[in-house]
This record gives sequence, structure tokens and C-alpha cells, in this order.
Amino acid sequence: MGIVVDPEGNEARALLDMAEFGGQHVLEVGCGDGRVTWGYADRAARVTAIEPSAKQIALARERLPVQLQDRLEFRAIAFEEFAATSPPSVFDIVLLSSSLC
Amino acid sequence: MVHALEEIHRLLTSAGRLIDIHPVAQASPVEIHQGGITHLAGLLDVRQWCVDYQEADKALTEVVQRGLFAVEGKGLFDSLTYYGSVPEMRTSLHESLDKFARDAESAVVDLPQVEALMGPAQAMMDAAGSGAELRIRERIHIARLRPT
Repeated sequence: MGIVVDPEGNEARALLDMAEFGGQHVLEVGCGDGRVTWGYADRAARVTAIEPSAKQIALARERLPVQLQDRLEFRAIAFEEFAATSPPSVFDIVLLSSSLC
Repeated sequence: MVHALEEIHRLLTSAGRLIDIHPVAQASPVEIHQGGITHLAGLLDVRQWCVDYQEADKALTEVVQRGLFAVEGKGLFDSLTYYGSVPEMRTSLHESLDKFARDAESAVVDLPQVEALMGPAQAMMDAAGSGAELRIRERIHIARLRPT
């Protein structure tokens, strides 16, 4: 069977209840293998999902659905480095997936 | 953590929103679920995680008190993680603990406590027979904040 996280979809439901992703430019910090990303990415205009682990990003890219390829970018980079090279006022939503810790 | 929130404030548009999701600093029930009935096999003491989650809460409180962000909404939900077997759960928890020990200076690795859960969980799974599901229930906090 393997490990299955949140098959009930409670996290995606809570996320969609909490924010309106339609047409938004989203930065997800600590995206891991993209498990949370899939729950909202189809609604967003553009998603930049970052994660320091190259292994996790490789998994996310493997699982990236074709229909999301034009709007979703996965990057293996730490938040500090990403922020240092990013201009201000570019994201409509920043999502922290257990990544503030 | 506060510096990261300051950077996020800079990256957000003036009408943007910050969504924070992180586990609540409390023990997570290890459950055996079968036929609509849930039995408690034990509680996973997540002090290793809690230290950092409590720090995350403090950092969020600080930036709100400083007027950098305002809380617009918050809530709680449960996230369930299912394991195919007790050994699989053990391996996964050990990997998580190893990761936290590497990442968090404040990590308190408590392998004996994790190991103590395995015996009761295995005994309950054996007694339950086929169709029983082994899972950990984690309480998750979600909040929406707007930059001010």
C-alpha cells in the first residue's frame, strides 16, 4: 500500500476555503514533492513552487501534469536565496507549507 | 523566522495574502481504523516538531504585533497519514526525526518514545486482522494574513 497522506483531501479543502486562487500568482514555499500544490494549481494563473531539497523537486517535476506545465514552475532553492534575487510586490499569494519552521 | 516573514511581506503585492499552514504543537494520535471504528494505539509525542512550530507561532504573533500583517482568518483541520504496516510507519518516523535533527538546532530526538509505540500498534494490527488501517492523525493550523 505504501504511505498515503491526507487521502480525504482535508488540506486542499481547508486551503481552498481560506484563499481564492483564481487568476493569482502564487509562491509556495516548502512545496516538497508537490502534494499540496496539486490541490490549487489548476485555479491559479501562475505558480512558483520552491523547495530546498533537489530530490523532492525531482519527484514533483516527475508528477507534474501536462496541463499544468505552462503555469507551474518547481525550483530547488532555499527561500532566503530565492527572496534575495526576487523583485518586490510580485506575488498575490504566498503559501507556507509547514515551512516557517 | 521573522526575517523570512519580512521578506514575504516585500514579495507580496499590496492586495496579496499570506497563507500559513503548520501542524499544531500537540501529541498526534496513532490510530487503528477498521470498519468505521477507530482505536487509539498511542500518542506520538512530537516535541521534536513542537519546538519549531511554537517558534513559528511566536514569529507570526510578532509580525502581527508590529503591524506588518493582520490576521484575516484562521482554522484547524486534521490530516491523516496512512501506513501499509507498522515497520513502514517506524521507518517513516525515523526518517522524519533524522531530518528534523539535521534541520533544526532545537530538535530533541526521542527515538525510544517512537519505538515504544511500535509494539502496541503491531499487537493491535495483528488482533484487528485484514482490512485494518494504521494511521497518524495530525492537527493542522491554517491562517490567512494580509500585509498592512
